[in-house]
Amino acid sequence: MAAVRRLNPFWIWVCFLIVLILFGLVSAFQVFMYGLGITGLSDGVPWGLWITLDLSCIGLSAGAFSLSAITYLLGRETYKPLARVAVFIGLLGYSGALMALILDIGRPDRFWHGWVFWNTHSMLWEVTMCITLYFSVLLLEVFPMVMELPLLARFTRIRTLAHHIHRFAPVLAVIGLSLSLLHQSSLGGTYGVVIGRAALFRATMPLLFIVSAVAAGMSFTVHITLLVQWVGRRTLVPNAILFEVGQFVGGLLLIYLYMRFWDTTAGSYGYVPGRTEADSVLMRGPFAVSFWAWEMILGGLLAAILLIRARFQSSILMLTIGSGLTLAGLVANRWHTTLLAFTQPLSTSPALTDPLVTPYSPAWTEWGTAIGVVAGLTLLFSLGMRYLPAFKGSAQESTSLPVRSTNTAQESA
Amino acid sequence: MTDYTRELTRREFVRLALGLGVGLAAADWVWQSFRVHNDPHAQAEETSIEGPYWGMVIDLDRCIGCHRCVYACQATNDTQEGHLWNILIEDQTTFEKPVFITRPCMHCENAPCVNVCPVHATYHRPDGLVEMDYDRCIGCRYCMVACPYGVRVFNWTERSDENPQVGVWGTPEVQRRPRGVVEKCTFCAHRIDAAAERNLRPGYDRAATPACCVICPTEARVFGDLRDPESPASRALDGRQSVVLRAELGTKPRVFYLLPRA
Repeated sequence: MAAVRRLNPFWIWVCFLIVLILFGLVSAFQVFMYGLGITGLSDGVPWGLWITLDLSCIGLSAGAFSLSAITYLLGRETYKPLARVAVFIGLLGYSGALMALILDIGRPDRFWHGWVFWNTHSMLWEVTMCITLYFSVLLLEVFPMVMELPLLARFTRIRTLAHHIHRFAPVLAVIGLSLSLLHQSSLGGTYGVVIGRAALFRATMPLLFIVSAVAAGMSFTVHITLLVQWVGRRTLVPNAILFEVGQFVGGLLLIYLYMRFWDTTAGSYGYVPGRTEADSVLMRGPFAVSFWAWEMILGGLLAAILLIRARFQSSILMLTIGSGLTLAGLVANRWHTTLLAFTQPLSTSPALTDPLVTPYSPAWTEWGTAIGVVAGLTLLFSLGMRYLPAFKGSAQESTSLPVRSTNTAQESA
Repeated sequence: MTDYTRELTRREFVRLALGLGVGLAAADWVWQSFRVHNDPHAQAEETSIEGPYWGMVIDLDRCIGCHRCVYACQATNDTQEGHLWNILIEDQTTFEKPVFITRPCMHCENAPCVNVCPVHATYHRPDGLVEMDYDRCIGCRYCMVACPYGVRVFNWTERSDENPQVGVWGTPEVQRRPRGVVEKCTFCAHRIDAAAERNLRPGYDRAATPACCVICPTEARVFGDLRDPESPASRALDGRQSVVLRAELGTKPRVFYLLPRA
């Protein structure tokens, strides 16, 4: 009997994640040992699953800067519990992005070159600087939360330091906001400046990237918070806040769809070499499901409707599904934006003889490392949610009846 | 009546000078925008690069598609099978005459790859050639994304392959590149650099000219200084209509193609 009782579901979950992490480590070892030749990437498709993972991690972490800005700059103190979850997710998300990049670059031993050899014209240099600086901002923001652990109570000096850092939260929020606005959009710019590829070379790219990142980042935070509350049977954030954020995301998604609509249709009048082919590959080719089903209909329109209606109907289920669909839409968008560029021939260049689509399917090592990275982040997140006092929350009174205007639940940390 | 003989006041002088300056600048801008930018010689004159302006001319009318430039490049630069620096594409003219297009690196003056490299591992040399610093490249492959001509290849694995062209079409003159860096056609820059020490002239002397041009049996591919009217490249261009690939991108390639006759 005693043995059965010790089988805590949390530890089963942890063991499951550790198995996935081990799988990831084996794959990562293969990659570092034998090089990128064992991946599905090629000269024709130099970026693939890892870049999608990297872009998705950064996009889904956008809740950190946007919710911090709402909390500390717009002075909405009630958002603080949600912002703390977002910042924690952000730190993990950026760690994941950095891990994906280390795997992706051919010379991981030279990862530091970006800081030493500057090419200020390069979008990727800007992104490198911004995400590493922002990563340190996130570290500073999460550091006080970790120092709250009872385990670390005896390090009084560091605790005092952490407390001082916490007082600078508004300053960190400003720095985080500037850095994030820069790199979230210049990640789109990374693609947008590529003049040689008609599928990518569009001025709207940075705009679409940042709007989709803020929408998906916020809804990811909401989604994860709802999951943690459901699994842990506690209240981290009052439902009213979650509904409010959800509704805002819904509106943002409608703005995104509006911009995407004009971006697509404005280019569809007449024939533009490369661009027309790219659009047809996107809408009728191998990415049609990813584009129409996931980005446009499920992750765009349906998610917007669900998120906006959720607040009026006080439906947690709608909020959960809507926010989940939004983040799926972002991942789909990053996937087909990346791959569309490479699977489509370089318009009038004689470089590619094959006018058809260049094939790419990720190798098991790519899947393995990607799964490993996600599992690692999930493990850290689960441990954080279980042990960090910041996320203790309060015991849940009722799961289905949200209270609109209560502020009692969140001031626990 | 205005007295034209009186001296200008300071104010009038300044106004006149400014007006003239602005007017000249505007006229120059209008003039420049009407200029044809696809003229190789004009391109050589306009650039800020001093010294020789290296260019390659590929005559599609003369090319017989023998693949020798491809093989010579593979041997000389020791490139990997399937990741060649110089490739050959078969195509047809409108009148179904076969045409063979070989494609080295364009060594663009406005090179997209140079702009996007986060660490300046790919750069313009003082003479304008686009080269790689293999010791600095981090292997992010953004340059491969950015290159409009698909000339860049990546070292996906540690090289241990046998080069089938070595000994037949030439001998390696440069080291193999390490795993994890991007590489591309160099215009045989090592030959151009060695030429200065040995008092040879690229384009004229075989040892100082890119391997692909030296081996070409029909002189379809020639190399030289476009500022020198006597260089093989300049002579090949004389009186012929030349095009560059994807001119609309404004990359200003240094590889000029002479169109086949119908």
